[in-house]
Amino acid sequence: MKTLTIILTDGPYISEYAEIAYKIAIEALKISQVNIFLYLDAVNIPKLGQKPSLFGNAGLLFQDLAERGAVVRACVRCAAARGYLAVEDGVCPDYHQGIKITSLYDLAEMLKESDKVIALSR
Amino acid sequence: MRSVFYLLDAAPYGSEKAYGVLNAAAVSIKMDVTLGLYADGVYLALAGQDSRALGVPNLADIIYAYPEIRVLAHEPSMAERGLLRQGLIERVELADEEVFMEQIREAEGFMIL
Repeated sequence: MKTLTIILTDGPYISEYAEIAYKIAIEALKISQVNIFLYLDAVNIPKLGQKPSLFGNAGLLFQDLAERGAVVRACVRCAAARGYLAVEDGVCPDYHQGIKITSLYDLAEMLKESDKVIALSR
Repeated sequence: MRSVFYLLDAAPYGSEKAYGVLNAAAVSIKMDVTLGLYADGVYLALAGQDSRALGVPNLADIIYAYPEIRVLAHEPSMAERGLLRQGLIERVELADEEVFMEQIREAEGFMIL
């Protein structure tokens, strides 16, 4: 497998999909490129300043993935609808480092170049 | 990946789900893309949708705007909801269980968003 793309649509704490995606990505990064596309409510995952009392900080998990080389992108329409705006080159001041806001067309490109796609969605 | 099957199993209005699936399908048209309407998703197949009172886009317009997207409605789901006598969007193909599942199996990617 050369490229794995993971698509998420849930927000960070309504399910454990963010954590599951993180674990899959960590393993996949050992052998392949990993793309993660945050769609619909999943654009809330990389929000800065989360302080969950019962769970790990999902935003930090995805910053960690980006630092390990995963490409983590959030849908611009979904992000704008929830108040996340990119200032330059897809960088959002409300997001953890390494996660960029991008066009939905990037999802199509990710799919085209992928050998395997996992969509975690309810 | 050269082909992708998006499955919509939620009603078209009342959440962002159907709009999200349609947009994902629309940007995927460089691949062979199929939208499968299943369970409550089959309500998207009905002709004459009018969403003006809801203040949201008419999702049928997206189906008309992207003829590259093959749209299948799962016939058993239509029957279970008493919709088989309803008029459908002209582009929508009715697919029985076997055909619907065959299309899922043949696609390189299968997505429920």
